[in-house]
Amino acid sequence: MAERPLTGERRAFMAGNEVLAWATLAAGADVMYGYPITPQNELMHYWTRLAHRFGREFLQTEDELSAGFATIGGVLAGKKAFTATAGPGNVLMQEPLSMAEMMRLPVVVIVAQRGGPSTGTVIYSQQELNLTCFGGNGEGFRVVYSTSSHQELFEYTLKAFNIAWKYRFPTFILGDGYQSKMYEPIILFDPEERGWEMVPARPLLGLPGRPGEEREPVHLRNTFNLEEELYEVVMAAAGDYARAAADLAEYVTFRADDCELLIVAHGVVARAALAAVKILRQQGLKAGYFRPITLRPLAEKELREAAGGARLILVAESAYGQLERLIKPSLYGLEQPVHGYFRPGLGITPEEIAAEAAKILNSAGYGL
Amino acid sequence: MKSNLKIVLAGEGGQGVQSIAEILAEAAFAAGKQALYIPSFGVEQRGGVSLAFVQIGEEPVSAPKFATSDMVGVLSSRSVSRVRQYVAPESLLLYDSSLEEEVKKVYGPGQRSVSVPALKLAEEELHPRVFNVIILGVLLSLINFLPLERVKEALERHLGHRFAQDPVLRELNYRALDLGRQYGDVRERR
Repeated sequence: MAERPLTGERRAFMAGNEVLAWATLAAGADVMYGYPITPQNELMHYWTRLAHRFGREFLQTEDELSAGFATIGGVLAGKKAFTATAGPGNVLMQEPLSMAEMMRLPVVVIVAQRGGPSTGTVIYSQQELNLTCFGGNGEGFRVVYSTSSHQELFEYTLKAFNIAWKYRFPTFILGDGYQSKMYEPIILFDPEERGWEMVPARPLLGLPGRPGEEREPVHLRNTFNLEEELYEVVMAAAGDYARAAADLAEYVTFRADDCELLIVAHGVVARAALAAVKILRQQGLKAGYFRPITLRPLAEKELREAAGGARLILVAESAYGQLERLIKPSLYGLEQPVHGYFRPGLGITPEEIAAEAAKILNSAGYGL
Repeated sequence: MKSNLKIVLAGEGGQGVQSIAEILAEAAFAAGKQALYIPSFGVEQRGGVSLAFVQIGEEPVSAPKFATSDMVGVLSSRSVSRVRQYVAPESLLLYDSSLEEEVKKVYGPGQRSVSVPALKLAEEELHPRVFNVIILGVLLSLINFLPLERVKEALERHLGHRFAQDPVLRELNYRALDLGRQYGDVRERR
């Protein structure tokens, strides 16, 4: 048996893409299928450099459609398979990912958001929220983790494989170009040494025994003849998703209990939002923050509660209102006005959010 | 020390801006500080100005990018105006002496600044290749809280494979580092 990728704790200073390579190895991923695209490239490079040392596999496919379908093939065969992509590659990958959603396949996908629409920039954005949460011709029965630090990239990637194989919904790590390319401190560890229970993979097809006689037949279908057949399968998935949502939804708040202005942000922008709240509090302004960690499913009840306790809401994102659209249904019926600080494809600093927040508070008469 | 020191470095691709930024951040991390380094990585990188963003502090770093910085290091002519948005009146602008004219033109005579003849020193006393390491030395002395040993270890991690092939290179890099540090020290006393 090949050696374990990590033993003990390893304190390191590395780029996010390298963190992801270690995370997928530590999660027990058997194989990566991928096609190069910035800013996820180095994840593939690190994986190809490291994987063989631990008995893992890699296949570069001819495009992202193929990478997605190959990942499906991997999980059908009972392998912990994953892929990684960005921007236009994420667009192409939606066809296989819709199939994974239909067939309830535990694929794990890492997305490094870049600027869009189209080829956009190779740099950074939060513009792949819609696509990652609801891409394809489906209902968005997906689990999407929006990470905001290297430690989270590592730990949510470990978790993503467990969630995918336990619940059988396609599971995503929604990162971005900044997180992929930046270097920051991280503690790498072996999850089982820490007491994590890692969910094993199992073959989904080609099981032993005669179907219908010695075991239940496996019907993994993405094509149906009758409206009713499709309806039944999609409704079953909807029910499973709704039941799992309470277990899956994760969020963080800070000073949200007594705030006048609630700042909502996700991913790397949440770092700036948290820092902005600290700046505003020092100025004597009552700001708080709510950060959804899972964008799908969203912690709707908790978000509504936090928003209901505030007077004003500010959504900050490196996109033109994708997060705002995602959260608005949870706020339906509340009277608090929602302001957007939208910077599509642009990084956001704490000072910018703090200035915007102070402006909104002052103009609404809640300032100093 | 400021709780969060923000540094931008800019130069031409190939001048080694990213290397010294990464070494600086890595040394800070090894010295027990919080650190974050991010390169600019747009497609303009090929044949364009290369920017590196470094933050060092006691608390975990918040956003990877920032508005204005405490120190701005400029290594090439085109970088002078490229970093304009990051230079505030209180920022310390570190630049190669050959860029004197451009710097004065863009930032005026009042900008807090330190000029270092790094290019000249590298060419005349060492080797043009270690130009960036002289700048790193100056930065170290201006920052003034990073142990030299941590920086040497980071250099070793990055260039160890080349040092192994040609041990003279190690000496050359150490001398460049020292030269930069001495220069920074002298400048500080003035």
